[in-house]
Amino acid sequence: MNNIASGISRRSFLKTGAALGGGVIAAGMPLSQVIWAAEGKLLKVRSMEDINKLDPGFYNNSQNVDVMNCIYSKLTRYKPGSEWGWELEAAEKIEQVDPTHIRFRLKKGFKFTGGYGEMTAKDVKFSFERAIKFNSPVKVDWGSLDHVEIEDDYTGVIVHKTPFVPLWYITLPFGAGHIMSEDAVIKATGDGNDFGMTPPAFSGPYLLAEWKPKQYVHLTRNPDWSGPKPGFDEIRIIPISDPKSAERAYQAGDVDFTWVSLDSLASFRKNPPADTKIEQHPSIQYHWIGINVDHPKLKDINVRKAIQWAINVPQILDVAYAGEAAVATGTIAPGLVGHRDKALVPPEGDLTKAREFLEKAGVSDLTLTISVESADAALAQAVQAQLSQIGIALTVDVQESGSFWTLGMESEGERWKELQLFFTYFNSVPDPHYATVYFVSDQVGIWNWQRFRSERYDELSAKAATVSDPGERATMYYEMQDLMEESGAFRFITNGSTPLMYRTTQMQAATRPDGRPLYNDFGPA
Amino acid sequence: MWLYLLKRVVLGVAVIAIAEAFLLLMIHAVPGDPAVALLGPQATPEFRAQLHQQMGLDKPLVVQIVTFFGGLLRGNLGFDVFSQRPVADVVFEQLPYTIELILVSILWAVAVAVPLGCYSAMRRNSMIDQAVGIVAVATIAIPSFVMAVSALLIFAVMLGWLPAIGAGTGFADRVIHLILPAFAMGIGWVGYISRLVRASMLEILGENHIRMARSFGLSEWRIVTGYALPLAILPTVTIIGVGIAWLLSSAVFIEVVFARPGIGALIVNAVRARNYPVVMGGALVTTFLIVTATTMSDLINAALDPRAREEL
Repeated sequence: MNNIASGISRRSFLKTGAALGGGVIAAGMPLSQVIWAAEGKLLKVRSMEDINKLDPGFYNNSQNVDVMNCIYSKLTRYKPGSEWGWELEAAEKIEQVDPTHIRFRLKKGFKFTGGYGEMTAKDVKFSFERAIKFNSPVKVDWGSLDHVEIEDDYTGVIVHKTPFVPLWYITLPFGAGHIMSEDAVIKATGDGNDFGMTPPAFSGPYLLAEWKPKQYVHLTRNPDWSGPKPGFDEIRIIPISDPKSAERAYQAGDVDFTWVSLDSLASFRKNPPADTKIEQHPSIQYHWIGINVDHPKLKDINVRKAIQWAINVPQILDVAYAGEAAVATGTIAPGLVGHRDKALVPPEGDLTKAREFLEKAGVSDLTLTISVESADAALAQAVQAQLSQIGIALTVDVQESGSFWTLGMESEGERWKELQLFFTYFNSVPDPHYATVYFVSDQVGIWNWQRFRSERYDELSAKAATVSDPGERATMYYEMQDLMEESGAFRFITNGSTPLMYRTTQMQAATRPDGRPLYNDFGPA
Repeated sequence: MWLYLLKRVVLGVAVIAIAEAFLLLMIHAVPGDPAVALLGPQATPEFRAQLHQQMGLDKPLVVQIVTFFGGLLRGNLGFDVFSQRPVADVVFEQLPYTIELILVSILWAVAVAVPLGCYSAMRRNSMIDQAVGIVAVATIAIPSFVMAVSALLIFAVMLGWLPAIGAGTGFADRVIHLILPAFAMGIGWVGYISRLVRASMLEILGENHIRMARSFGLSEWRIVTGYALPLAILPTVTIIGVGIAWLLSSAVFIEVVFARPGIGALIVNAVRARNYPVVMGGALVTTFLIVTATTMSDLINAALDPRAREEL
C-alpha cells in the first residue's frame, strides 16, 4: 500500500482527481508554482512572518529587510559566510575620513525603476536624513547622524556629531542603509514620509511582482539591474509562522528553505529529508535571567549571587533548548567584537557557593517569583527546581507575550515594582553596542528591568560606540559584561541557535553568520 | 416577516455595538503596548508616544469609543498600526479565505452527515448504524487541529498528494488547497450532524403523520425525503447557525497549521501584537458574520417549517 501510494505524485493525484471530477478542475487548473514543484529558476523559501513595511526609513523587522535587500540597493552589504563582514554594493568606494565623517562614492549605472533615473548622492542624502527628519523608530540605527553632504552627483560625506562605529555593521548594510529615489518618494508621499507597503521605485536585483498578504511575496528579476546577476529568476517568500508547519511544508516540497525548530533538529539530523543540507548557525540574540536589584527581597547582592550560582545553565539548555544551544558567556554573541571566552560564574554554577551566599545574606524561607512568557514555562520550571536546592521557593508567573513585554516599564503602571526574577531574550544586530546599550542607567524602568546601575558601565557604553579599534573596543565590552555579572543582576543563558535546512537539488543557500538568508546570493543547484 | 427582519437588524446592530465597546474596554484593561510588540527594545519612548498618539490611545476612553463608532459610520475602521494600510482592506482581503473554509467545511459535512444520519435512523440498531455511531463519536472527540496535523502528515508529507500550506491562486488551485483544511475542520461536524439527524429522524419517524403516510402506501424513500427529513433537519439548521461561531474559532488553528490566510489567524496575531485597530475591525466582521449566520438559520427554519414561520 505504502509503495503504491508513494508512487503516486501530487501531480498525478491531482490530475486523476480532476479527471474523476468530470474535468472541471482540470479545465481551469493553473499549473501554479505554489502547487507544483519548482520548475525553472524559482526560489521558494519560508519567512517567519509576513512583511508589513517596505519603507527602509521606517523598517521594523528582519523579514521586511530580507525583501528590501532584493528590491533596493545599499552602499554596502553583508558578505555571506561564517564570519561577519561587509562588501561594497552601490558604493564604488567608502572610507572613514575621520571619526565623524564617512565619504562614499557611488557606482555609476545603478538605476531606479519607473523612469526615476540613476542613483545619486542626492538620493543617499534624502534616504539617510529622512529617518531623522521624520523621527522614525529607525533613527537609533543612525546614532548621532547630523547630515549628509553632497560633493558631486556620485560622492557624498556622511557626517555624525559624534563617532558612531556600529554604523558599519548595523546601519549601512542593513535595513536603514537602503537608498530610495528622492523624486519617487516625494511624488508618492508629498513630503518624503513613510510610504508603507507601496514602494514607489526599485533599485535592486529584483522587483516586487506581487504581494498576497499572509500568502506570499513574489519577486522577479529587475531588467534594469546592472549589478551581479542573482542566481534565480524569481523568488517566492512564503510566510509560515508556525515552525512545525514550516517543517511539514518543507517535507511536502512546498518550500525549499526553512528554519528548523530546536526540538526537531535531532530528528531531522537523524532522518533528513532527501537531498537536504542542515546547517546550524549561532544566533546573535541574548537570553538571560534578570534579577530586579531594587526589589526588597533582592536588594542584598548576596541573595542575587546565590541565585546566580544556583542556576545550572547546561541543564536549562537541555530542558528548554533541546540541548541544541550553546552556553552564553554574556550578552555579546560569538563572532562579535567583545564576546567573552567565559563568564565569571561558571555555567554549571555551584550549589555550595550558592548556599554560602545565602547564609551570608542571613536569609531563610525565601520565596520569589520568576516571570516568563508562556513559551518559556519549561525553562522557568527548571530554574524553580534548581533554586529549590538551596531552599528558595520559586513561583512561576506565566504571562502572555504582549503583557510580559511591558512588565518592567515604569510608564506602564506599577508592575515593575513587583518584578523579581524574569527570563527574556532580545534579538540583536551584529554589533556589541546593541547587546549592551539597554542596560545603561538611562534605561532603568524602560528596558533595563534589572534596574542595574553603574557609572562605569554607562561611561564605557558611551565610549565603546565611538572607538573604532576592535581590540580596544573588545576590552571595554569585556569589562561591561563583567560589571553586569558582578552586580548579581544577570544570569546569562545562551545566545541561541539558528538551525536551517534547504534542498540541495534546488539551491546553494547563502546566509549571514547568524543564518539570516541573503537571497541575492542564493545560487541554483 | 419584515418586522422580524427589522427586529433582527436592530438587535444585530446592538450586539455589534456592545461587542465592540466591550472590546475597547478590554483593550484598556489588558497590559501591553503595540510599539513594544512591534520593535521590542528598539521602541524608544518618543516612538511609543508617537504611536499612541497615532492610534488615539492617549485620549480618554470615552473619546476613543466615540471616535471608533464615528469612523465606523463613515466606513473608516482606522489603519493597521504596522503597515499603515486601511483596516478595512486588511480585514476584507482575509475574510473570503475564512468564509470559503467555513462554508466548504460545513457543506461537505452536511452532505455526508445528513444521508448517514437518515440511513442510521432507517436501519436503527443495525451493524451499520452502530458502526456509524462509533465513528461519529470518534470524529467528534478528535480536536480539529489534531485532525489537521494528521491529515497534513499523511496526505501532504507522506503521500505528497496535496499541498501542505497556503490557499492557492486561481479557482482550481484554491479548491485543491481547501481539501485538507476543510476535511480537518468538517470531519467533527460529520459525526455531530449525523447523530443529530439520526435522533431527530427517529423522533419524526415515530409520529402520527408518518404512520399516516405509510398507511397511504407511500414509498419509504418518499416518506423520508418528503415528510420526515424537512422536519428532522430543523435542529441541524439551528445548530449550524450557532456553529459558525465555533467554526470561526476552529479556523484559527486550521489557518495556523496550514499557513492559510484568514481572519482567525489575523485577529489572533493582531491581539498578540496589540494591533488594536485590526483587532477591532476583525471583531466587527466576525460579530457581523455570527449575527448574520444565526439570522439566516432562523429564516431557513421558517422557510422549512410553517410553525416557525407563524412565530416570526
